[in-house]
Order: sequence, then structure tokens, then C-alpha cells
Amino acid sequence: MTAVEPRAAAGTREQLVRQLNGLGGLEVTGRGGTQGAVTVRLLPETLEAATHVLAGTAGTRLADMFADINGDAPTLRLVWAYEADEPGYIVIESEIEGEQYPPLSDIAPAAFVEECEIYEQFGIRPAGGKPLNRLMLPPHAEAELPTLGREPAQQPEEVHAPHLVGGQAFEFPFGPVRQAGVESLYYGLVTSGEEVVDLYMFTWHKHRGVEWRLRGKTMHEAIFLAERAEGLSAVATGWAFAAAAEAAAGVTPPAAAARTRAVALELERLYNHAAATAALGQATGLSVGQAAAEIALERLLRVNAAAFGHRYLFGVIEPGGVSRAPDAEVLRRELPGAYDELRRTADALLSTNSFVDRLEACGILTAEQARRLGLVGPVARATGLANDARLAAAGAAAPYAGHPVNVVTADGGDVFARFQVMLGEAAESARLITQFLDGGTAADCSLVAPRAGAGLGWAESSRGEVLAWVALDEDGRITRARLRPGSARNWRGFDDACRSQNVFTDIPIIEASFWLTVAGMARLGG
Amino acid sequence: MPLWFARGLRRGVVTTRYPAGPDGSAAALPTPPAFRPVKLTRELVDVMISVCPGPALTRTADTLVFDVGSCTACGRCARVAPHAVTPSGEFELAATARSALVKRIPIRGGQR
Repeated sequence: MTAVEPRAAAGTREQLVRQLNGLGGLEVTGRGGTQGAVTVRLLPETLEAATHVLAGTAGTRLADMFADINGDAPTLRLVWAYEADEPGYIVIESEIEGEQYPPLSDIAPAAFVEECEIYEQFGIRPAGGKPLNRLMLPPHAEAELPTLGREPAQQPEEVHAPHLVGGQAFEFPFGPVRQAGVESLYYGLVTSGEEVVDLYMFTWHKHRGVEWRLRGKTMHEAIFLAERAEGLSAVATGWAFAAAAEAAAGVTPPAAAARTRAVALELERLYNHAAATAALGQATGLSVGQAAAEIALERLLRVNAAAFGHRYLFGVIEPGGVSRAPDAEVLRRELPGAYDELRRTADALLSTNSFVDRLEACGILTAEQARRLGLVGPVARATGLANDARLAAAGAAAPYAGHPVNVVTADGGDVFARFQVMLGEAAESARLITQFLDGGTAADCSLVAPRAGAGLGWAESSRGEVLAWVALDEDGRITRARLRPGSARNWRGFDDACRSQNVFTDIPIIEASFWLTVAGMARLGG
Repeated sequence: MPLWFARGLRRGVVTTRYPAGPDGSAAALPTPPAFRPVKLTRELVDVMISVCPGPALTRTADTLVFDVGSCTACGRCARVAPHAVTPSGEFELAATARSALVKRIPIRGGQR
């Protein structure tokens, strides 16, 4: 089986759902489905055909895949982003009988990482016996798998995809302990001397079982952990989680609270892009450029603290609304200066040949690779794909409907293009914050009454789309929560970017331009 | 092409010995709570323990045990008991022994 290319023209979402219904699917309306998205329930035997239809339609993207167990048989859920007219999401769900389901990553390669994840969590795997990588525990560990459901039928050693090193190539191990301040991550760099022939990663050193720990908590208790799943995207992850829980509970946050969330989200994007700029300065050996970007970063963090009471904006998002309103006067007074500091530094970097030379034609990803792997955020937009969760106007993105975002794209696909996208987005964030402040912000919350249901939420972090899916029981306690930060998507494109005719010293530059977190990858159940 | 060396000199030294002096931005930082013993009751302490997302608060009889090392300064305890809890303003929390981070606060409210 080969990956399906999108040949069918994008139609309306209704046409797509009708097509799925024609395969035996059943659109679930009302409380039984995922609120905030269109839900289609399928029999396992039609899952493969439905994936063909969705992967083969232009403007659809596999955004996430996860499992849940409620009774004997696990349920597989695929979240497809629909990006043509009226962007939104379609959730496909299918109960899996037995130990296997169709090998969906053969049709949609973006599913592979989640196939590995689901095997470790729920013991079901794609049919056909393809080797799966390990994500949460090292292959040599004797420990039990970190399951959210039941034990796999096979022991983990049997499903570890081997990494082969042949010919004159050798493996250069790097990590998991790296330089100060950098998260634990192991790179296996396969090289014949200088050029990177292959690269693979072990990401299990930071698994904290966040999804596992959310079970049984109320949404108000859980938000503390949800925003820490990826601390550098605390607002985006917290917002996506809160939006999912609010959708499940049938609650809409007040408009002023939604604008407050948007202010915090854009501040988060600004400081992350400043941090990525500093990291690019460090990776290219420009210490003064790095220090200049870090001064801008520090000023932005101080603006965050002065406006919202926390440098990294923790504790702003509450289910139903927000706990704090920004100090608008401080933002209007301090933010322009802090942003100008970043812009001046970026302008100086962009007129430095030795800097630009290192970025151009480095770590190239094509739009085709980004689409097949379901990449998001600046990494995808630097290849020309204009996906942005802020365009999905309903639910989580409501404040952006009144203040449209200009999606910044580039077409080089290299580090330089990603840097250009980040700088364009920083300017856009500064503009949007002013608009949201003019619209009015407030520390306001809607009352959330407990009720059973499931909901999907999303937000656009500085690293790309964050998704959350939350199921609540009748007491309002979480039975299953799924958190999918942007990092969890984009790491799968990192190795491809590193393999594209790069040398050893390009790797830190590529990593800085992706500006992902290991925590965002390593947040799963355990 | 900018002269980074000149830019660095023009900006001057921005690092200083610690502490160079009071830092105005520190006032905006979240800090661990300070508890007022006379306002604490067993019931109130139990409510604070229930809202604390970590293991920072526990109670033994009439003592509130506060582990500053487990506190994230989230402010939830202060939100449920604003009359008994205020931000401490302390952010220099380093200690040479783990036990030095655990504070025992007598519960004096409601006592005759």
C-alpha cells in the first residue's frame, strides 16, 4: 500500500461527510458526538476506505489520532482538520475489535507516530506487522508498558524498529544530557564523517504521564497540569484544553475573556519567537546577536509579568474563561519598546551575511513532506502551507473571527524561511494585541455545570496547532483527555529536515528554527 | 553588515553582580504564600489543601506543614482564603538542606 495523494478537489465539509456516510459511516449529532467538531462513527472494516477518502481530498489533514477504552473494546479516533471553506475539524471514531486495525499510516503517513503511541498505551496495533518505534520507554526496559488501557499482546522488544548503520557510516550519539538549559533528548546521528546521513531520536526521557494523571480530575483541577504539558506553550495548551472541556460541558466563555486569552496567546507567541531568534544566534555563533535577542526576550517576559502576573503566563486560562485580566496600560506602554528591541535585533541579523548564509538552504522541508507528515505552525507555513488553527472560527478561535489574522507564509522551506515566518508572525502578534485590547478584556468566567460529554478544542501556539480532546462523566470528571501540542506533530519532520544534505553543525540551527519542546512530545500516559 | 563588536560595546555591560540592587520587575513575580496563623482554622486549612494542585500543603493536628520546595506559587490557596494568605514577596528560596524548605505553621484561628 502506498500513501494516498490528495486528488479529489476540496468540496464542502457536508459533501465530505456525505461521502463518509456512503461508506457506511453514521454522523453522530447531539451529545453523543464530539462537541466542537463533526463526528462520524464508522465500522472498523470501513476505516481504511474512509481514510482513503479523507487523505485523498485536497484541504484535509490528519491532525491527530488517539485511542480510548470504555468497556472491552478500544475506540480509535482520528481528528482531521478541514481547511477549505469554513475551516474546522472532523472526528472519525471506530471501535476496534481484536488486537489490530488497518495500517492507516500506509495511507496517511502522518499517522505513524500515533500508531506507535497507541500500541504502547492500548495494546492495539496496525495490521501487517510493520515495525513500530518506541516512544515512551526504552526498548531495553523491563518495566511494564505505560498503558492507559490494556497490555499489548506482544512484548515491546518485538516491536522495536531497528536503526541500521551500514557501509562506512557510523552512529554519533548525542544526548540525552545536553548543554545547560536544553531539554533531555537523544539524537542518533548517522554520518560518514560530516554529512548527516540519518538521524533518529529517543524522546522518552521526559515522559510524565500527564494524560494519565488528568483522569478523574475536574476540569478546574486538570487545567494546572494541562498548561504544564508544554510549559512554553502554557496559554495555547491551556486554552485548547479549556476549550475542549467547555465544548464537552456546553459552555461558551464570555467574549471579553476570549479576547483576554487571545492577548495572552499572542504574548506567548512573541516571547517564543524572540527565544527562537536568540537560539539561532547561539547556533550560528553570533554571541552578541544572541545576547541582543535575549535582552528582547527578557523585556518581553517582564511585560508578561507586569501585565498578567507571570513571566510565562501560567494561570491565566481557567475553564469557562480567564482568571486574570491584563494590565492594558502596561501593555500599551511597554510592549512596543520590547517588540522594537526584537525587530531591531532581527533586522541586524538579517543584514549579517555570515548569519543569513547559515540559514539559507539549511534544513529544507518541502510542502509535500509537510503535508504528508501533517506538520503545523511556522514549520509548515515556511513551506507555503497556510494552515493556522486561528482560522477555524468557531469555539476556541472565536476572538479571531472579529480580528482576522493575516497568516504569514514563505516558500523556501529552509531555516531562513522559518525565521522569516516567525518575524512576520511577531509583527502580526503585536498588531493583534492592540486590537484585542481595544475590543476590551476582562477577568471573567462562565459558570460550568457538570455534565457528561466529549469535546474538541484547539489553539494556535507559536509551534503550531494544539489540539485537545476531553471526555467528561456526569459528575464533570475527566474519563479521558488527549493533549496534542504542536511539538508532538513537528518532531516527526525534524529528522527529514536534518537529512536534507546537512552537516553536523547545521543540526543546532535546524533545531532552533523548529523551536520545539521535548516536553510537548513527552507528555503522554504512563 | 552590522559591526557586532561595536554594537556590543555600544550597548555596554548589562550583566551585574548579584544583587545589584532592588529589581523593580520582581514585584510582578508570583511568590509563595505567607500564612497568618491567627486566621487559620483546621477547616480552612483543609480547603486550602484540597485546592493545592501539588503536595505543598499538609496538616498534622493543629499545624499546617508548608513545603516551599513543592509550591509553584499558583495562588490557589490565596484565592480561597484571601484573609489568611498573602503573597510572601520572597523569591530567593534556595536552601542548603531540603528540610529547610519545609515550614511548620501553627493553626491558631478558632482557638480559645
